[in-house]
Amino acid sequence: MSALSEKVVAISKPYFGPATEAFLNRQCKAHLNIEVAALAQPHLKELSKWVQTSGALLMDAAKAAELAGKIANL
Amino acid sequence: MKLTIKTKLIGGCTGLLLVILGVAGIGALSLFSLRKSAFQTTRVGDRLNAQSLEIQVHTLQAEGLVREYLNAIKKLGAEQAKETYLDEAEFEVNEIQNLAANLVKISPTEELRAKFARIPVAAGEYTQALDNVVMNAGKTGDPEELKQSLGAYEKAAMALRESAEDGEVGGKEASQTSQLEIEATSRRSVLLVSVASLLGMALALTMSITLLRAILLPVEHLKEVAENVSMGNLDLAVRRFSDDEIGELADSFSRMVTAVKFFRMEAESSQTEVEAGGVR
Repeated sequence: MSALSEKVVAISKPYFGPATEAFLNRQCKAHLNIEVAALAQPHLKELSKWVQTSGALLMDAAKAAELAGKIANL
Repeated sequence: MKLTIKTKLIGGCTGLLLVILGVAGIGALSLFSLRKSAFQTTRVGDRLNAQSLEIQVHTLQAEGLVREYLNAIKKLGAEQAKETYLDEAEFEVNEIQNLAANLVKISPTEELRAKFARIPVAAGEYTQALDNVVMNAGKTGDPEELKQSLGAYEKAAMALRESAEDGEVGGKEASQTSQLEIEATSRRSVLLVSVASLLGMALALTMSITLLRAILLPVEHLKEVAENVSMGNLDLAVRRFSDDEIGELADSFSRMVTAVKFFRMEAESSQTEVEAGGVR
């Protein structure tokens, strides 16, 4: 897993807890066609968009937007 | 600084303690001031009254001694009578002057001071008149002169008596004024303590309610969320009320609910996929 992937997982952990890796994997595979471990800087904008959209289904929309912002700013 | 439940509780209890101490302090201070005021005013009033009476007694004694002196002149001779009675009368007049000077010093009002200040003046005039009587009584000459000086002496004695009586009335008034002052101070103290107690109670009540709300509200919300989750309802937002231990608990709970929701969605999605595969 790249350092960037680890950073994304670490940032998302407080929001998704034990579902973090599974959630991120789901977004990466479904929308970016990559594994979480293969995340690179150019993917972050797209990932951030999907984290906000899918995250809002699972948690408060404001919190999802907050996490998306953190990922986009990495 | 992060306000934890512990900090809030310690702060709240300390605040309540300070409020209680403040109210108790104001009460004690009022009581102390009332006691001091009562002691001072009563003491001054009583002293004015007692010393005024004492002046009257000395006045009467001085007059009595002068009368004795006048009666004794023929029997004992002027010189002997003077020695027997007048030295003592002089002592009485001195006492009157000393007492009056002290009364002027301790009088609480200008009016009373003026009243008592008349006594030494009257005592001085009385001494002067008495000296004239003694001088004329020692002479064997004109009885008219003695008569005139006796008349002047009677006038001076009456003036001294009247000023002493005025002083006594002033003393009584001062005593009554003291009583009124004590009552006023007492009323003021009761009012002050009542207001302080009411304010203290209101403050303590506000602090208790704030403290209870800060702890109870978020705990009740979390309990409600936990009950809903346990019944399978995951669509409930977990609110974070405060940045303390309960806020952290809300975060953990929120994380757990999010994860459960995700896993449930995943499971449902897998089941749909399996079912779709089975149908094919």
